[in-house]
Amino acid sequence: MTRATTKWAGALALALSTALVPPAFAKEKYKVYLSMSYIGNDWQAEAANMVKAMAASKTMADKVTLKVQVAGPNAQRQIQQINAMVQAGANAIVVYPISPTALNQVVKNACAKGVTIIAYDGEITEPCAYNVTIDQTEAGTKTAEWLVDKLGGKGRVVMVTGVPGTSVDTARTAAAKAVFAKHSGIQVVGELVGMWSQAVARTELSKLLATRGWDDIDGLWMQVGCYTADAMQLEAGRTAKQLKPCAGEGSNGGRIQMLPAGTKVDGANGSYAPMDAPRISYASPPYSGAYALKLAVSILDGKKDVPHHTTLPLPLVTNDTIKLCETGSWDEMKNGCNVFKPSVIKNPGWFASIFSEKTPEVGLNAALNGQPED
Amino acid sequence: MTGSATTLSAGRAQLPVRRSASRGPVQRWLARNRAPLVAALVFAALFGFVDWITPGALTYFDVAFQASGGTPLALAAMGQTLVVISGGFDLSAGAVISLVNAVLAANMDPAQMQASPLLWTLVGIGTGMAVGAFNGIFVAFLRLQPIVVTLSTMFIVQGLTLLILPQPGGFISPSLGSFYMGDAISGLVPASLVLLGLVALFWLWLKNTGFGVALYAVGSDPATATSTGVRTTLVRFGSYVIAGGFYGLAGTFVSAQTGSGDPLVGNSLLLQMFAAVVIGGTRLGGGKGGLVGTVFGAFVLMSVVNILLALNVSAYFSTIAEGAVLLAAVLVGSLSKDSVLSEQLAGLRGSLKARRAGTHVSQRPKTDRKLAFVDAHGRGRPAGDNVVAPGFFTRNGQTLRYALPAWIGLVLVLIATQVVLGSSLGSWSFWNSLLVLSTFLTILALGQGSVILTGGLDLSVPWTIGLSGILLAGIVQGSDAALLYAVPAVLGLAALIGLFNGLGVVALGLSPIVVTLAANGILQGAALLYSGGTPAGFASPLLRWMMTGHIGGVTPVLLFLAIVIVAGTLLLGRTAFGRRVYAVGNSLDAARLSGIQTGSVIVGVYVVSAICAALVGILLTGFSGQASLGMGDDYLLPSIAVVVVGGALITGGRGHFLGMVGGALLLTALQTLLAGTTLPYAFRAIFFGCVVLAAVLALRDKRN
Repeated sequence: MTRATTKWAGALALALSTALVPPAFAKEKYKVYLSMSYIGNDWQAEAANMVKAMAASKTMADKVTLKVQVAGPNAQRQIQQINAMVQAGANAIVVYPISPTALNQVVKNACAKGVTIIAYDGEITEPCAYNVTIDQTEAGTKTAEWLVDKLGGKGRVVMVTGVPGTSVDTARTAAAKAVFAKHSGIQVVGELVGMWSQAVARTELSKLLATRGWDDIDGLWMQVGCYTADAMQLEAGRTAKQLKPCAGEGSNGGRIQMLPAGTKVDGANGSYAPMDAPRISYASPPYSGAYALKLAVSILDGKKDVPHHTTLPLPLVTNDTIKLCETGSWDEMKNGCNVFKPSVIKNPGWFASIFSEKTPEVGLNAALNGQPED
Repeated sequence: MTGSATTLSAGRAQLPVRRSASRGPVQRWLARNRAPLVAALVFAALFGFVDWITPGALTYFDVAFQASGGTPLALAAMGQTLVVISGGFDLSAGAVISLVNAVLAANMDPAQMQASPLLWTLVGIGTGMAVGAFNGIFVAFLRLQPIVVTLSTMFIVQGLTLLILPQPGGFISPSLGSFYMGDAISGLVPASLVLLGLVALFWLWLKNTGFGVALYAVGSDPATATSTGVRTTLVRFGSYVIAGGFYGLAGTFVSAQTGSGDPLVGNSLLLQMFAAVVIGGTRLGGGKGGLVGTVFGAFVLMSVVNILLALNVSAYFSTIAEGAVLLAAVLVGSLSKDSVLSEQLAGLRGSLKARRAGTHVSQRPKTDRKLAFVDAHGRGRPAGDNVVAPGFFTRNGQTLRYALPAWIGLVLVLIATQVVLGSSLGSWSFWNSLLVLSTFLTILALGQGSVILTGGLDLSVPWTIGLSGILLAGIVQGSDAALLYAVPAVLGLAALIGLFNGLGVVALGLSPIVVTLAANGILQGAALLYSGGTPAGFASPLLRWMMTGHIGGVTPVLLFLAIVIVAGTLLLGRTAFGRRVYAVGNSLDAARLSGIQTGSVIVGVYVVSAICAALVGILLTGFSGQASLGMGDDYLLPSIAVVVVGGALITGGRGHFLGMVGGALLLTALQTLLAGTTLPYAFRAIFFGCVVLAAVLALRDKRN
């Protein structure tokens, strides 16, 4: 309870202090805004933390003032918000776009006024905008191919998709289905809507399992939910050795499960523990926002050759490449560690793909607390 | 009962009318249009504030952009207002906007850059009206409850939209964009304002036609309207069709504004629409309000975005600030001598005065002054009374008529499951999963059901669930012992949330939708602040075992489910509180005159609802092992759906808890059936909507 009170008090103080800082304070710096869509999920909060950390890092702190605003799940409001940011004199706007198409007109207007618009994770199709994303088709293809390989080209597969009607979900799912269709031995026996949430994945899988046992499933392809699927198999009385291969997201919980059984990790607990789970783990990396901010500043600095579409390397981790981080510093991650201790990451649904060659300013502390490396 | 309530409220309503008759015509006009005027003033104040705080002068471009930014919400909310005035409710509005956007984007020819804006606007409006006619047929002609009809329509329309446009894309001709986003008079009047002006003129004309008058009559009192010769059915049907046209126009405008298609673009406008309707001064429940106020309501909501930005309100506080603005705007709009708040204050003053004078009821001698009744049980039947005591079916016929359809639907869905998927009904694990999954909706049905029985609605369910789960996981941190104080703490907090909602409704006299919608935003902010955006902590082993373990194949939570069902049935059916809930729902005034403290009953149901939501939050945390932000998001509409499918009347006073339990089982069984198939999501959504619609066909209201 005390923890809660201090947090409240701290947050209040923070709000007051930001309200009291005179706006004339930062004339020389670039005015950069972050327009988030919805902060009601883990990925968004983590990505926002990393953007804040990037803005606070040594190289950036005296160059930019960053203001963060949330539009909610409503594209109309994000349109209004981006326009208000342009009105308020933004030099650049970093956007998590609610829709790839609905923002096109307002973005075009912003560009015409000389404002740099850069989107992360999702895409804005207006040509003047910059985009930082992974290749969703590659994500769907690579993970499905891994699963087919693991099953020896034969078996019954359950797919758990994302939010229907979004281009990310459509691209990933279509790519995976194309791979499965090429192998006549692969039979898709269930397609569930997982909404990119561990909690939804569990309820949907439970519904499927009401009419189909684990014995009737050979493998899982999930956009989010492998951690949960593994936990459910253990609850159903199966052993860690019997876990079905699962191609899915880069949650820390799922990656801890990939570690060889018996690995000692601090804070392991229940199904949030090493068990040699057969997995491939991919993710839309949460550092994309931070990298987008960095690119935006380099564009403002006059860099000319920034491509309008930056495709980030797809972070893929398998049982062969999984490695536990001790501190989670950027340097340590550079040497190949890619999963964090449960004692530090209390939430197994937290996304662990936070490393990029190009963002040495942000490490574990950035994703957790918005603190830069330096 | 309803009859006496009508005369009472009519008697009340006459007072202010008589008073204002003695004033001049200007005052009378001001008094009649108070709510929209206040909404306009609030908007003007917010707009002035933003202008004052933003560096640099507002240019014409800014104003034009602001205008077109708020137009889609304004247009859609105007349609919603029309339905609300007629006494209805339309949940399909957001989905229709997406549908129209998808239809236009998928069908416009990319080679034709000069497509006719007029033609495609007609296509948009026509599409919207077609959906409106679908709603209207079921609501007006088949006399089904609007909320469940439009909820089903929402699912069907969302599915259709995904079939037409599976992902964002498509083509919208630039000519449509320049038509709606351009200037009517260059540099002076943006086209969007002209459009809003034209639509407002249409409304002012419509309002004074026979249809307009009948609309208000039907919304105020359908029985009286019918008996004075109003063709209630046609008026209701018309209101949905015209409203559909408004959503269609909004969808066309969104297409012009965004220049392309997105199958999800309108869905999230739904809740904001209701907020705009209420801020604009329209009464939910029908008979009072207008479309002009709604326009200002919509612009008030949209300018909140600019205020948050101008004040640089931290992201975590944005939903809290939004909730506060919503509450404040509605409260300011309702302040007057006749408002509930001033009545409450006057009552409080009166009771203080009486206490000081020593004449308060509680200070009077406590002698029992009840009339002596003859004990009814002890009284024998007079000889020659041959009337047979009514049988079970006669006594409970009404209840059964409304509670059984959900159970019959359940049986049909179960049979379908057996036929389609095979080997389910015979296996206990199927039943076990079904019951475990339906636990959440059953518990929510008790809370939401109690609120709906009084004629209210609780929209704060999602983040009451979310905050409770996050708090619980944060406090217990995987320790069973901590459950001992964590569960009471979380339930205690929930009781406070319910108290807040209840007092907002009772003491401030605000619409339940507004209070609970604002509370939902505030709770979301609280959850974000507490968790710092990343919820930590675990459910304890005991809690996890309760949700996912087995004793001889039975998940322990089923015992709890049984307790909830028994307790809920007794609470609503066999206690004084339960009887009062029904009395309040049937007629607030009659209940008050019968000596019921209606205020405490209403506060009570919101407390029950919040506690039920908190229980679901706790159980979901046990089910998933940890809590996550947004874990309650998927439970709001289903919680309302199960109550209505279970036979409850959305305006209160009718429904049995066991019917709602049937509704929860039906929806869960249906989802389980659909999850077992490999149908694409679009078809599943359509199928789901159709089955729900079919299930409630049996719930048709009798013709008056």
